[in-house]
Amino acid sequence: MTRTIVLAFVFALAGFAAGHWYTKQGTPAREADAARVAASYEGGFRADRESAAAVGERLASGSITAVAGTPGEHEIVVADGESIQEAVKRAAPGTVIRVRPGTYHETVYIDKDAIRLVGVIEQGRRPVLDGHGKLNDAVLYSGNGIVVENFTITRYKGNGIMGQAGNNFEIRNNLIIDTGVYGIFPQLGKNGIVEHNVLSGIEDAAIYIGMSDNIHVAHNVVFENVAGIEIENSRHAIVENNHVYDNTGGILAFITPGLPIKTTSDVIIRNNFVMRNNHPNFGAPGSIVAGIPAGTGILVMAADDVVIEDNIVSDHKTAGILIVDHTNAANLTVDPESDPNPDRVAILDNVMFRNGYDTIPEVKALMLSGLQRGEPDIVRVGPGAGSCILNRARYVTVGLDDFGVCGFGNTDATVTYLLPPVPPRVIEPGERGKIAYLGICSGCHIYGGRMVGPPVQAIQALYMDDPQALADYIANPVRKRDDYPEMPPQDYLDPETRLAVAKYMLEVRN
Amino acid sequence: MWRLPLPALLLCCSALAAPAAAAADAVRGATLYAPCAACHGAQALGNPALQAPALAGQDAGYLARQLRNFRAGTRGATDGDTAGATMRAQLAPLPDDAAIDDVAAWLASLPAPRAAAVDGALLRNGSNYYQSKCGACHGARAEGNPALFAPRLAGLDAGYLARQYRNFAAGLRGTDPADRYGRQMRLMATALPAETDLRDVLGFIASQSQQE
Repeated sequence: MTRTIVLAFVFALAGFAAGHWYTKQGTPAREADAARVAASYEGGFRADRESAAAVGERLASGSITAVAGTPGEHEIVVADGESIQEAVKRAAPGTVIRVRPGTYHETVYIDKDAIRLVGVIEQGRRPVLDGHGKLNDAVLYSGNGIVVENFTITRYKGNGIMGQAGNNFEIRNNLIIDTGVYGIFPQLGKNGIVEHNVLSGIEDAAIYIGMSDNIHVAHNVVFENVAGIEIENSRHAIVENNHVYDNTGGILAFITPGLPIKTTSDVIIRNNFVMRNNHPNFGAPGSIVAGIPAGTGILVMAADDVVIEDNIVSDHKTAGILIVDHTNAANLTVDPESDPNPDRVAILDNVMFRNGYDTIPEVKALMLSGLQRGEPDIVRVGPGAGSCILNRARYVTVGLDDFGVCGFGNTDATVTYLLPPVPPRVIEPGERGKIAYLGICSGCHIYGGRMVGPPVQAIQALYMDDPQALADYIANPVRKRDDYPEMPPQDYLDPETRLAVAKYMLEVRN
Repeated sequence: MWRLPLPALLLCCSALAAPAAAAADAVRGATLYAPCAACHGAQALGNPALQAPALAGQDAGYLARQLRNFRAGTRGATDGDTAGATMRAQLAPLPDDAAIDDVAAWLASLPAPRAAAVDGALLRNGSNYYQSKCGACHGARAEGNPALFAPRLAGLDAGYLARQYRNFAAGLRGTDPADRYGRQMRLMATALPAETDLRDVLGFIASQSQQE
C-alpha cells in the first residue's frame, strides 16, 4: 500500500514536470528569426571613428590588412650565432631586421618605433627563439609600428610576445609553443593585428588582448592552453576565422576586476571553429584563470555588446557559450568601478552541438530550479540587460528567458575596426610611472585580486611608504610564494622608471 | 611540480626565516609552556571561551615575534585590547629571549588543530575574497608564509581571527612603528567590504583546517 502511494506520488511529480516542460517548449514553432532581421550590426564605434575618410578608404579596399605603416628602406640581417638584440640596438626607426633560420637564446626588447622583426623562412626552417626554460620573455616591445613575424618561440617562462603600450602592431605567422604565462600579449595598445599564429601549451592565455582598442585577431590556431583567445578590458575587437580547440576555455570576452581600465565592449566573435575545449585547467589554483570551468567554448563575463555570429561551437562539457556576471564567477571579487553585468550580448546564428553534456553543479542546479532538461548549449548566470538571440529554439538554453530577438541578423557591415596608423600614445611628463604600471605591471597584477601575481593592495601593505625597496625588488625579484609563478626581473627598465612605477603602484587606489 | 612533505617544508622555511629558532630547545620549551596550558590548553589547541587562540603548529618565528611584541608593549598595550592585556600580564614564565624561542619551537612542532566550521558561511564567496585579499601573504590554503612573516590562519578559531581583524581595523593592533608586519596587516584590515564577507572568509579558513 505504501509502495502504491509512493509510486502515485512519483507519477504525479513526473506529470507535473512533463507539463511544465511542454508548457515551456510548446509555444508555436518559431519561424526563422533571420528573415525578420536583415539589418547588420554597426557596433558602437562608427560614430566616434576618427575620420570619415578613413572609413571610406577601408570600405573601398574591403579591409585594412596592415597598420604598421610602410616598411622603411634600412635593413639589417641577423644570422645564426648573432644577436637580435644587438641588431635592434643598431637599428634606426624604420628598419627591417631580417633574422635568418637558427636558434637564438635571448630576450629581444624593442623600445623604439617602426621596427620590423621579420623571420626568414628557408625550406621550412624558421628562426627559433628558445628560452631554455630560463629566460622570461622572448620579445617585448614598447615602440609603435612594431611588426613581429615568422618566428618559432619556445620555452620562455613569461611571455612569448608582449607589447607594452605600443600602437599599430602586427604580430603574424609565429609558432609559440610551451611558453610561459601569455603567448601573444599586446597590453595597452591601439590598432593592432594578431593573425596566422599557432599557439599551444600556454599556462594562462595564448592570445591575451589586454586593455587595448581596435584589434583584429584572425586566422590563428590555438590549442591546449588554459585560455585560448582573451579580449580583456578592451574595446572594438574582432575575433574571426580562428581555430580554437582543446583549451580549458576557448574564446573569452571579459572584464577583469581591478585593472586600471574598467570596460570591455563591442567585441565581434565570428566564423571561428570552437571545439572540444575541455582541457583540465592547469592555471595556478586560486587565480582568476583557474576559475574558468573546463569545457567552456565561449565565455562572456561582464563584457558589453559582444556579438557572437556564425561560429561552430561543439563538444564542450560545461557549455558552448557561458555568459556570467562578476558576482557568480569564481576566484574573483567585484570591482566597485566596473559594471559587473554583461549587457547587450547578441547571439546570432551559430552552429552548436554536443555541448553541456557534463556540466558544472552550478548549471545543473540552475536547470533543476527551472525544471529544465537537456544538455545546455548556452548558459547565462546572473543579471544583465538588453541581450538577444536569434533562432533560440535551435539550442538548449538556460537562463535566457529575458533575451529578446536581435534587431540585426549579421555583422557584415563591420568588416574591421582597424584604422590607418594612429598617433603614438601621448605620455605626459610625470606619467612615466603610470604608463609602466598600465603597460607592464597590469599584465599580472590587479588591484584587489589574484591574477598571476599578488594583488596590488597586498603589495601596498607590504611596502607601505618605501617605493625604493619595491623598485629594488622589481629589478631583482626573489620568489616568496610557492603557489605563484616567479616574478620576472624588470631590469630592462632604467632605474628612474622602476622608481617611478614603484611610486605609482604604492599610490594607485583601484 | 616537486613537493616536499609539508612539515619538512615548514621546518626548512622556519629555520631560514628565524635562524635563532633553529638552535632553540623544544624540550625545554615544553617545560616552560606548562603554566600557559591553563588558558591555551595542554596541547596548545586554544580555548575560545577564554579568548585564548590555538598556538600548536604555528610558525615559530611568528610566535616568538608576538611574544616579544607583548613583552615590549607593541601588542596588547592599547586601550580596548582586553585579551591582549591579559596575555601581557602572563609573561612571567618566559623571562628572556631564549625562553621565548624555546617555547615557540615546541609549539611549532605540535600538530595544528582543526577549527570548528562557521555557521552560515558561504564558502564560495569566502574563497573568492580569501584568494583575492588574504591568500597572497597567508598562502592559498591559509597555511601561512614565513617568507612574508604571515602566520598560519588555518586552525585558529573564527572568534579569535575576527577579533584580531577588527583590532587591526580599529587600531588596537598594528599601529606601533616597531611592529612593521602588524602595520602591514592593518592596511589589509579594511579590505573586506562587508561583515558577511568576513564571516565567509572565516568559514573558508576554517574549512582549510578540516581538509588537512
